[in-house]
Amino acid sequence: MTATTARRAPGRLSLFRAYLPIAVTAAVLALPPLRYHESRTLMGVLVTGLVFACYAIAFNIIFGSTGQLFLCIGALAGVGGFASVILSDEVGIPMLVSMVLATALAALVGGLLSWIAVSRSLDVIFTGIVTLAFSLAFSSLLLGRRDLTGGESGLRVQAGADTFLGDRVPPYYAFLAVVVAYLVIYRVLQRSHIGWAFRALRDDEMAAELSGVDVRWYRVEAGVIGSAMLGFAGALYAHSEGFIGPSTYAFGRVDIRVIVMLAFGGIGSLLGPVVGAAVFTWLDEWLVSFIELRVLLYGAIIVVLFLGFRRGVVPTVHAAFRRLGSRRGGAGTSGSTTQARAP
Amino acid sequence: MKAAIFDGIVLGLQYGLLGVGLTLVFGLAGVLNLAHGQLAVLAAIIAALTIDAGSSAGVAALVGILCAAVIGLLLDRTLMQPVYRLRGESRVLLGLLLMLGVAFVIDGFLEWRYPIEALSLRIGGDPVPILGVNMRVGSLWASGIALAAGAALLFFFRGTTTGRAVRSVIQNEEGAQLCGINPAFVRGLIFALSGALAGLVAITRSMTSPVTVTEGITLTTLALIVAVVGGLGSVSGAFLAGILLGIVDRVSSFYIGTYITTIFLLAAAAITIVVRPAGLLAPRR
Repeated sequence: MTATTARRAPGRLSLFRAYLPIAVTAAVLALPPLRYHESRTLMGVLVTGLVFACYAIAFNIIFGSTGQLFLCIGALAGVGGFASVILSDEVGIPMLVSMVLATALAALVGGLLSWIAVSRSLDVIFTGIVTLAFSLAFSSLLLGRRDLTGGESGLRVQAGADTFLGDRVPPYYAFLAVVVAYLVIYRVLQRSHIGWAFRALRDDEMAAELSGVDVRWYRVEAGVIGSAMLGFAGALYAHSEGFIGPSTYAFGRVDIRVIVMLAFGGIGSLLGPVVGAAVFTWLDEWLVSFIELRVLLYGAIIVVLFLGFRRGVVPTVHAAFRRLGSRRGGAGTSGSTTQARAP
Repeated sequence: MKAAIFDGIVLGLQYGLLGVGLTLVFGLAGVLNLAHGQLAVLAAIIAALTIDAGSSAGVAALVGILCAAVIGLLLDRTLMQPVYRLRGESRVLLGLLLMLGVAFVIDGFLEWRYPIEALSLRIGGDPVPILGVNMRVGSLWASGIALAAGAALLFFFRGTTTGRAVRSVIQNEEGAQLCGINPAFVRGLIFALSGALAGLVAITRSMTSPVTVTEGITLTTLALIVAVVGGLGSVSGAFLAGILLGIVDRVSSFYIGTYITTIFLLAAAAITIVVRPAGLLAPRR
């Protein structure tokens, strides 16, 4: 499930080919509200889907690019969400400023976790457990500091309710803009020297280190950028949702789903997070009608999907296209097919 | 203080028993079994249903443990086969995701069919004073069983040929294979053993407090933390980590109480990992 080493580096793609997938995704994702704009429930589901896409893209930068298993996706989004709400509602700072501060705080926390993991050279599982411990500590802090967080009953969010975020359809487009922005950030990173470093350290850490790539620094950088993205998405979600509680950012609700989405869509691919979020949001909604059997079916589907799409949907589809292209075009047009396989 | 430490040891032995099942499967098969807690709950519910059907508590406990062992073996023989064909990070990830699916399936099934079932094997009798601290009979039984299981495991791994074969596979799979050890057999054995340990922890846990259907995820997380702090693959490490974390838990809840206890516990776990990433009992680098 690691990024395929043979894939052509996105830095070599022409500008048009590099950003076309993002434009197409934006156009496709702009359509659903045209059909569902009348139902508040369905718009809520769609917004949640986009929020999860944001989380998954951010997690893809941390885990997909640099192999740090952050099991605190929800907690970092929660740091952003709760910090922004507390700063704007309790302290009285304007919403935009509080969101910026909350994003910075999430980036700081994520960067710190990343720095700990890197400086002790923890491997995948150990990073996972340390960040999981942070996740659980954060959730018991939420329950414990009742005076600030409202404990189990949560907080009603005042800031943002009177802006466009309180409406039915505009929040969807706001989050769509965030998804597109995150995808662009991912692509820009991939095409820059940072992307080269990420690929080098994913392919062979030792070799990357020996050829002068400061592996530790790039890991922390990915941790900071991804955590900032998580914090910002979490904060925006808090203000558009109008209510946050411990379950909004709970490990079981956010982290597990994001990992499943990303692994299903394809780790380390541009559109994998979006595809995974779309499929599992739809799946969740479809399973609601099975009420009692829902969790059971969800588990069974996860097992079946991962037995079938071990590398993720996006890389599998790319490989299929590549095979198709090379069979049809033969060796002569291999240039165009190698371009087509980069996501 | 003394009472808190004793309580901590009782709790810690349960933690250790919980962690050891997970640590073995990881050390051997490279699979992080995220369904470990769910397997324990499943065993508890099977035992509870057997009691409902009219059998004695002892028989019911054996049935529960046996069923968990068989399910562990079945998982190894079916779902885990594609995982064994992979190597490195993708192996860890696929194993983790498949087991997560299994955890959902078990949780979903139990919540669907037996939402209010719970196993509670209360053992009556007056508290027994030990070194001036009154201990409940249930706690003593649970601790005794956990200690016996730990000793049996240590004997199995140090003293028997099969146990040594298992350790040889943990250390070096190819080398063990060259010596005529069949890794597939060893894996099946360990999965069954891990399942039985999950069942056993459900039984001992129910001696002090009821084991309910929704407890799976809590047990899995605890097992994960204990196993990693003790060093993945180490039996004595898991028990040591369990006891340490148990004492931290009880002592801090005795002195401070409230939510800070959980944070203390998690911080202790995280710090241990950061200071000694290879586990408590690993030789210094």
